[in-house]
Amino acid sequence: MNLENDPSTALETSLRRALRRESPAPGFASRVMQRIERDQAPARRPWWRAVAASLTLTALVGGGIAYQDHQRQVREGEQAKEQVLLALRIAGEKVRYAQHEVRSIGSND
Amino acid sequence: MTAIVPEVIEMPTALPSAFIRAREGDQEAFAELVERHEAMVYSLAWNFFGDRSRAEEIAQDVFLQLYRNLHTIESDAHLLFWLRQVTTRRCIDVTRRTRLKAVSLEDAGDLPADLRAADPLLDRRLKQLVQELPDAQRAVVTLRYQEDLDPSEICRIVGIPVNTVKSHLHRALQALRRKLENRP
Amino acid sequence: MRKLVLVFILALAVAVPASAQRINLDLPGLAGLADKATDVVDVTLDASMIRLAAKFLAGNDPEEREIRDLISGLQGIYVRSYEFSKEGEYDRSLADRLKSQLGATWKPLVTVRSKTKENVNIMADLRGERVVGLVIIAAEPRELTVVNIVGDIDIDRLSKLEGEFGIPRITKEGKDE
Repeated sequence: MNLENDPSTALETSLRRALRRESPAPGFASRVMQRIERDQAPARRPWWRAVAASLTLTALVGGGIAYQDHQRQVREGEQAKEQVLLALRIAGEKVRYAQHEVRSIGSND
Repeated sequence: MTAIVPEVIEMPTALPSAFIRAREGDQEAFAELVERHEAMVYSLAWNFFGDRSRAEEIAQDVFLQLYRNLHTIESDAHLLFWLRQVTTRRCIDVTRRTRLKAVSLEDAGDLPADLRAADPLLDRRLKQLVQELPDAQRAVVTLRYQEDLDPSEICRIVGIPVNTVKSHLHRALQALRRKLENRP
Repeated sequence: MRKLVLVFILALAVAVPASAQRINLDLPGLAGLADKATDVVDVTLDASMIRLAAKFLAGNDPEEREIRDLISGLQGIYVRSYEFSKEGEYDRSLADRLKSQLGATWKPLVTVRSKTKENVNIMADLRGERVVGLVIIAAEPRELTVVNIVGDIDIDRLSKLEGEFGIPRITKEGKDE
């Protein structure tokens, strides 16, 4: 039997050739190591935590001093304003992150 | 009478394998492992999808996963098995989640120079036809003909009975033959 | 690792006031996190505090004016955010328990799942085309943030606060510039 003429052998030979291994683009190992480095990097602290910390400090510093009602209201109002800004910044950041992820999925399709 | 003093030859201490060094945290050794196995992992994904960027992405994912799980790998042989299994299952998983279609001939990309000596049109056509096979048949065919694995090895990687592997192979080859001959 | 994202595109609103829902951010399991956290952000602003804050948002500053407009329809802003020194300090099922408080008018807007970055759930209380409440639950391995905004909120304007008030822009890699 001439195996060379056996159609299944010929197909399998062709398949081995068609599906043989190929290397990825040069620098693949470096790209993997960079990705591992990014993955292992400690999570960055959100920038707004420093803002939140300073708000707490302001509250602590102001609490020990006697203020007239007006001055207390000014302080409370300023603090409320800062808290609004902080809360909206946090919310905005999360919404933007989600939008960014959505866009990045869309651009990969 | 002359005494023959056997020569004492000091053998150089063999370096631990890259696998062992990588397990101990040696990043360079891990990079060596990547270089050693990148073609295999990348090609499994490339032959599955026919999409180089997706193949690269999946290959990177697999090696990232390997890095996280290296402590569970027991030997070089186990590593090879693990890479084949994770890559194959990931390809099937991605296909099922995204319902990727086969890449058209135009999108298949240029053949590397060393393959052009063969029958490039047939090879491209075959690759495309393989990518049109159902997921499980595609995985089995790729493992069989890219990695030269027999059904008993394939069944452990894909997680299906060996008779099912044989059945997939048989049906896949029939389908490929039919399509190559332009039969319905 | 890949992300699973479900998106509902939401048209922004005008019209009729409707009572929005405030969720309980002091659930068992959530309230106790402050003891384990290395850093806590706790914002509790009801309608009166928001009105007070609005008075202090400068009318002559366009950016603060923008914020003042944004909060004009709000009845409450509540934030709890906890940062931990290590993973596994909070129960991941908290997100589901928070969401289970939401009534039938709440719909998921965006769900982002990632094994390596944040999981984010954004849910909106919808009355017709209007958003009258927002809940954002963002879970990272070492951080949990929950935001509840009660009242008419313009999500588009909220997201556009990027770059204002010193808010960093997110780069292509999702990191701050």
